[in-house]
Amino acid sequence: MNYPIWDVSFGAGLLIALVAGLHVFVSHFAVGGGLFLVLTERKAIKTNDHALLNWLKSHTKFFVLLTVVYGAVSGVGIWFTIGLISPTATSNLIHIFVWGWAIEWVFFFLEITAALLYLSGWDKLSPKRHQWYGWIYFWAAFASLVVINGIITFMLTPGSWIDVHKFWIGFFNPTYFPSLFFRTAICIALAGIYALITASVQKDKDLKARIVRWGALWTIPSLLALIPFGYWYIREVPAALFLSARGPMPTATHYAFLAWSLLAVTFLLMLLALFTPRRMHLVFALVIGLIALGAMDSFEFVREDVRKPFVIENYLYDNSLYAAAMPGDGGFTVDNLNTVGVLHSAAWIDQRTITPDNQIAVGHEIFRVECQACHTANSYRGIHQLLEQRQWDAPTTRAMLSSLALMHNGVMPPFAGTDPERDALAAYLNTLQTTTPTATIDGKLLYQNNCSMCHQDHPNAQFFSGIVTDPAAAADSLKDLTSIFPLMPDLKLNSAQRTALVQYLNTQRPPLQHAQLSPAVEGGK
Amino acid sequence: MIDPSMIPTVDPNPLPAPYWLFKLLLIVTFFLHILAMNFMLGGAFLAVAARFSSKGKEYRNRIFLDLAKKIPVFLAATITIGIAPLLFVQAIYGQYFYTSTILIAWPWFLLLVLLCIAYYGFYYVAYNGQRRPGPAGIVLFVSLVLVLIVGFIQSTNVTLMQTPTHWAAKYFASPTGWSNNLSDPTLIPRYLHFVTSAIAVGGILLVLLALVRWKSDRAYANYLFQYGGKAFMYATMAQFVIGSWFLISIPRNLRMIFMGDSPIATVLFLAGILGTVASIFLMSDALRKQNIRTAAYGVSGLLAAVILTMILMRDILRDAYLEPYFHPHQFAVKTQWAVLPVFLVLFLGGVGLWLLMLQRYGLFSSTNPTPSELTPTPDAPAEPEAELVH
Repeated sequence: MNYPIWDVSFGAGLLIALVAGLHVFVSHFAVGGGLFLVLTERKAIKTNDHALLNWLKSHTKFFVLLTVVYGAVSGVGIWFTIGLISPTATSNLIHIFVWGWAIEWVFFFLEITAALLYLSGWDKLSPKRHQWYGWIYFWAAFASLVVINGIITFMLTPGSWIDVHKFWIGFFNPTYFPSLFFRTAICIALAGIYALITASVQKDKDLKARIVRWGALWTIPSLLALIPFGYWYIREVPAALFLSARGPMPTATHYAFLAWSLLAVTFLLMLLALFTPRRMHLVFALVIGLIALGAMDSFEFVREDVRKPFVIENYLYDNSLYAAAMPGDGGFTVDNLNTVGVLHSAAWIDQRTITPDNQIAVGHEIFRVECQACHTANSYRGIHQLLEQRQWDAPTTRAMLSSLALMHNGVMPPFAGTDPERDALAAYLNTLQTTTPTATIDGKLLYQNNCSMCHQDHPNAQFFSGIVTDPAAAADSLKDLTSIFPLMPDLKLNSAQRTALVQYLNTQRPPLQHAQLSPAVEGGK
Repeated sequence: MIDPSMIPTVDPNPLPAPYWLFKLLLIVTFFLHILAMNFMLGGAFLAVAARFSSKGKEYRNRIFLDLAKKIPVFLAATITIGIAPLLFVQAIYGQYFYTSTILIAWPWFLLLVLLCIAYYGFYYVAYNGQRRPGPAGIVLFVSLVLVLIVGFIQSTNVTLMQTPTHWAAKYFASPTGWSNNLSDPTLIPRYLHFVTSAIAVGGILLVLLALVRWKSDRAYANYLFQYGGKAFMYATMAQFVIGSWFLISIPRNLRMIFMGDSPIATVLFLAGILGTVASIFLMSDALRKQNIRTAAYGVSGLLAAVILTMILMRDILRDAYLEPYFHPHQFAVKTQWAVLPVFLVLFLGGVGLWLLMLQRYGLFSSTNPTPSELTPTPDAPAEPEAELVH
């Protein structure tokens, strides 16, 4: 709200995912592929393999055209896109790490120059001199990974930077090294995978087999190395962060499963390629590439998802509010907005007061500044779809907005603003619902629509410790949820609904607890 | 006057070095970026002109082919160098920069898509110009149009970022990122001023190519010299019309800083005009006397100096536009001494290694007629790279 919000109708997050998802697949190849070029050149010269050397020349052209053009432009593209969608985060990252970015630029400049000279030097330079350019290329490219890795990992695990605000503390943060090793293994694995693509169109089957075997030698051990590096990486991420990845909106869990599965498929296909190297077909090579792309992007999604609700962990929320007040925050903190209100804090809104006439328009503006960093009205992470699925009526939506921070294990920032502002937001959100919600008396459905966001699909034992066993008393206690736990939404279910919900809950109660618990255990969460 | 609260506050992190250092780095790297861009855009423009006027003129076709091979390298240099000013402008003008880009978010985003297509187009022409001149000519033309659009988006952003008074009306009319800045009377002349300057520099590029071939292929070199020299002169003469248009489009109170209100701005303005006039006479004289050295060293050196005055004036103008809101002393500064020296050492080491790479490739020796070609004029780093694409 310090900056205007770009209204991307189909979803700002989707746009970042698209740009970044394709860039990382090329940029990691740009690192590993550089090492592949020099080592393959050495191997071809050592074994006097002219055919391999000739292929490598064409592979170099493919490599340069992909990494120097698309890789470089799409890298700037990520920067452009995050500046448009998360200007506050970008501004923070620039000011914290400007010398890091500047150092990366030096390496990038060397990298591009070396790549162009390596490509054009194939028939002009002695092999030794030519490889010298190849090595400079590789080390410069790797150095740019070494730098950028510090900034990417900082966003997930800033560690003690939050307290001391020192460059190197933020840079060499807890996940710096596992991530560096993990990404380096990806780089090397991709070098082998990309080699299959240009190898597959070779007519000389012996040559093709030699390249495929050589490529598999790069990819297969690297894929195996991802397992310990991945384990190390996960261990360095604070357990509390992973908590947000589980539960009824287990996006990160799904992506983690997808990442490991696709990795396993890549591994198996590479083994298949290794055993039938003469038959490598372009389509097969592209399928391996696409599956590897899926695996890699799933990993990046996990990283992004466990970071939620923050864009910089414990420092800046996804919607550009600071987690804690500090000098220079401009008043853009949850606490301040709760006191002063959105309408008196946000710069880029048109309405400054709420009247019955403009309530929905105000709500729309609040939605834009607080929610649209992740949600859309009715497409990607659309509120329309969510409301239809949950069948929330207006009072329910309003009540639920008080408990956003508890939902889905805390992947959302809390609603920030005054009560009338929350009412305005709820009023707007309900205009997104095109059908009238039905008041169900199905206990299971009631639980799923109203409780599961915070209490998981299957409530745990602790949940039941807060609910008395006597059905009538339990139903009665659901009249006022905030008296059970002050942060619960003030949800109003009718008598039939409460009874149905308790009936359903009692079927879910763990048997042991069922026997042990007495009606005396009441209260608490 | 805009409600000052609309201008975003800077984030809580202090500036990690003194303001002047960012300003210096911004100006120096932007100057180098603009030089590379001028070679790329001017080269592409003259390549298209040569290609579509080459019927029965063998030398025009050679110019097209010679330039076509160099454009991808100049575009690589433009983008690679351009990252640095993009970084430093965000470090000190972030509040204005992010806001204006958000207002034109879609064009700003699509800029890179267009750039990527143009980049591949230029490579296509570099590799296929000889074998398939027909399609290559069309691809070159389309790529040129795309980079011209990219430039227009850049000009739009620069004019918009320095006029916060225009922001609110645009944003509240539509927050979808499809705003434009056509209502700003300075936009079109400013853009044309840049494009025309690129054409002049493209002319200088041909003169430099003529210098390289002066001994080995005098007839063609002379043709290059005439063609490039004239392109330079016509484009530069046109600047007097376009530049005047630009000048009178600037609001009077800001225009006056170049006409006495600010001594530095006025001196730069006069130096720029005098340098431009001198460069035209110098080129005209060199063409008449067929003195390639005067044209290649004298005019290009003078032109580089003129471009530097323009870059400085551009910066002064921006700060004048932002004067009601932007004051450098408002920045909290906490220099990151633990990392700034690391950057400086790596930067100097990087420049050294870069020069060593060019030198070991033979770019400073064989193809050039005299060792004096090593003279580090601002054109020199770009010129040796010229032969890279084959």
